[in-house]
Amino acid sequence: MTVAGGVIGARVSRAEDVRLLTGRAVFIDDLRPPGVLEAAILRSPHPHARIVRLDTTAAAAHPGVFAVVTGADVKSLVRRPQPLIWRLAPGGPETVAYPLAVDKVLYTGHGLAAVAAVDRATAEDALELIDVEYEPLPAVTTLEQALAPDAPRLHEDWPDNVAGRAVVAQGDVEAAFAGADVVLRETFRFARQWGASLETRGVVATWDPFTSHLDAWVNTQSPHLIRELFAEVLGLSVDKVRVRVPDIGGGFGSKSGFYGDQVVAAVLSRVSGRPVKFLEDRRESFVATVHAREQRIDVEVAARTDGTITGLRGTVHGVLGANFSTVGLSPCWTTAAIMTGPYAIPAVELDVVGVVTNKPPYGAYRGYGLPKANFVHEHVVEALARHLGLDPHEVRRRNFVTEFPYQSPVFVYDSGRYAECLDLCRDAVRRAGWADRVARARAEGAHMGIGYAFHNEVSAFAPSRIVNMSGLDHSGFDEAAVRIDSSGRVTVHTGQTSMGQGIHTALAQVAAHALDVPLDHVTVVSGDTDSAPYTGYGTAASRAAAVGGAAVLNAATRLRAKVLRIAAHVFEASPDDLEISDGVVSVKGVPGRSVTLAAIGDAAYRRPHGVLPDDEEPTLHEREVYDPVNVATAFGCTAVLASVDVETGAVELLGYLIAHDCGTMINPMIVEGQLQGGAAQAIGGALYERLAYDASGEALTRSFAEYLLPTAGVVPPFGINHMETPADHIPGGFKGAGEAGVIGGGAAIAHAVEDALAEFGVRITSLPITPPDLLAAIRAGAER
Amino acid sequence: MKITVTVNGQTSTADCEPRRTLADFLRHDLGLTGVHVGCEHGACGSCTVLLDGATARSCCVLAVQADGSEITTVEGLATTSLSPLQESFRRHHALQCGFCTPGMLAVATELLRDNPSPTEAEIRTAISGNLCRCTGYHNIVTAIAAARDQGDSPNADTPPQPPEA
Repeated sequence: MTVAGGVIGARVSRAEDVRLLTGRAVFIDDLRPPGVLEAAILRSPHPHARIVRLDTTAAAAHPGVFAVVTGADVKSLVRRPQPLIWRLAPGGPETVAYPLAVDKVLYTGHGLAAVAAVDRATAEDALELIDVEYEPLPAVTTLEQALAPDAPRLHEDWPDNVAGRAVVAQGDVEAAFAGADVVLRETFRFARQWGASLETRGVVATWDPFTSHLDAWVNTQSPHLIRELFAEVLGLSVDKVRVRVPDIGGGFGSKSGFYGDQVVAAVLSRVSGRPVKFLEDRRESFVATVHAREQRIDVEVAARTDGTITGLRGTVHGVLGANFSTVGLSPCWTTAAIMTGPYAIPAVELDVVGVVTNKPPYGAYRGYGLPKANFVHEHVVEALARHLGLDPHEVRRRNFVTEFPYQSPVFVYDSGRYAECLDLCRDAVRRAGWADRVARARAEGAHMGIGYAFHNEVSAFAPSRIVNMSGLDHSGFDEAAVRIDSSGRVTVHTGQTSMGQGIHTALAQVAAHALDVPLDHVTVVSGDTDSAPYTGYGTAASRAAAVGGAAVLNAATRLRAKVLRIAAHVFEASPDDLEISDGVVSVKGVPGRSVTLAAIGDAAYRRPHGVLPDDEEPTLHEREVYDPVNVATAFGCTAVLASVDVETGAVELLGYLIAHDCGTMINPMIVEGQLQGGAAQAIGGALYERLAYDASGEALTRSFAEYLLPTAGVVPPFGINHMETPADHIPGGFKGAGEAGVIGGGAAIAHAVEDALAEFGVRITSLPITPPDLLAAIRAGAER
Repeated sequence: MKITVTVNGQTSTADCEPRRTLADFLRHDLGLTGVHVGCEHGACGSCTVLLDGATARSCCVLAVQADGSEITTVEGLATTSLSPLQESFRRHHALQCGFCTPGMLAVATELLRDNPSPTEAEIRTAISGNLCRCTGYHNIVTAIAAARDQGDSPNADTPPQPPEA
């Protein structure tokens, strides 16, 4: 089913905005239940150390302190270690991590004790009174250190620091390489980065000792998942846990996992008998929230002289933290699973190797493995073109998947028009006059260049069968309920989470479209597991608009049919002869024969006699559980205009154009916002962001003075061109758009820098591209 | 210590610890939770308020330093209908999660008061001390520019346009 015209596709302003613009939103730190205590966590100053002694006596005696717990205390109050929900292979190694460290601390910032006090300042004062004796141990923070034969082992019952292996394979790789005209090899390195939402993570937990019921406010993207995992860890049935979600100040994946500090808050509430709030301060957020991106990828590509890629093989090393996050090694597996990108590469064999290091856990961040895969396949295309003397766009075209559905090594791509999207982007570059601008700049001695990257994206990561087969120990379906009340107004209930991406507005548009009611007659409600419909996994993986939208569309479409049946009874007409416009049902072609949705609602709830057909159930309510048969592949092309100061190695971005296709767009303005925001994160990842560690394993990056987020001064204006290739298998034809902007940016920026520095032969194989690294590459090129 | 401040036109006197930041004082003692604390060290700008008419990072000001001053927070920018600047932010999708928005509005308010016709470059410079992790800034710049243009001709009411591509 596809939709066209009407409210779906309209650039409407968001329902969320007014509260946010006026200071009326309620974020996690704005919640202050009566009697609430504030928690602080004692964090290890060492990257790796045995806890020899831990004495909390003085802290517990400090005025204003209500509870102090150690790692051992918390362990004794939970039923199991922190859960892992994504296993690539059954029986693989798993870290055993409790919410706080018990015997050993495994990274700088690893929590080992916690205090709840009248306020955060008092709790922090008490932390200083905790007496800890550490026995420092040697630490490993790089992949090479962790894999060295004599490397210190993080988990003493493991034979080494390898945290898991997986293989992504398709076709006959040996034959492809044996028959290749050309084989290219490259190694890529990606630094540690993270979501860094402006609001840190927090929880307000209230334990009821009389009913053993946990009521938790959490700024999470995954309220149902968090409820399930709270129940598992605390040994409760699911009905004993309520998770509520306030306004969220950005998520980007880093608020999707289940964190130990959430359990710590619950335990502190249980011990103290009071509600307990834990909110990361900014400094600790750099070690308490999951990191991402850090990988080393070695690949070989086999090709023919005409540019046809016949084989791809290599290894993806995920440089994990000391303990698994909720999703384990899966972001690194995803890199391998989508390494072929938009290209039909018949033979693939990629090993995925996860390695633990003395750093915080590795988890989700927007893009989830895809930006690295994109960087690799786009580098391969450009390198092959250079090697063979071909136009890189011709190499792209020669290898594009053109027939759908297409079975890639893991996922089936449902639809796409890649060559048209590439043309759309190139046309935009032509219209912008970039080639002339580059020529003029170069004539004046400046170093300016243009770079491209084409991406495709497995969005709507939802089909429960597929996500279970991929190792995810959770469903991915979405449930929605749509109601019309007695005044004819519509409420959409969803399990999806609003975290700034505009999902309430998007779902309201879908319902308003399906019901033909004014948009402002629709309210979307979410964020309370006691009442919200169930969503598998959570709001992540570019799934909310596609899967949540489809669920709402189906429910609203059925509800429309019920409205028409009731109206048909009133008019003694056939439902087929009726239409709804702006919330009024009328007989087609008969002016004056109309009834409002308010009147239908009144009959459905309050005064059914004489209006509601005898065989029609009172109320106006439809529920839908939507579990798609397949994922939906979105795609796009990014072009970047950049200049490089060869004296300093600084890169300046001058233009940024995106051609993009996410199927039917519910609200193009919101899609553009997602692409622009994602692109800014790609810029940060390509040029500025790195979580740095020194040789001893000390975390060096603990504030926004050291971890540089891109500012308005360095992010260029964006230009966006849309195409719409609907997903035929998803009601509405929607595909996901939340992650797209971040995927292709790194490669496009790298290629623009390479183009600007063509005379030096600079090749970019690692991110971020920092001025010192780039300057060294320029100087090395100048000496050649 | 006892301090007296006038916030959004309302004068309050309160006791506060010398170590209390103005941000915490506004949020926790006066209930003005539109002041958002994103970094606690003056890097992100989310907590920016107008302090005696000039923007200030309330996380880097102690409440006792603000004694006797006049403060405007995001709650003071509008009472029952959005200001033209807020309306422009809404029309141009200049906010996503909204966490940075109060700070952005404070900076843009100061900019348009002091320089009613800023260029796009001047707008970018003005907001370059405020981090936004969601929008990529494009629509924030567009919204401030549109509010500027509306200030030039109060009847201007052009619908938002897709970005130039």
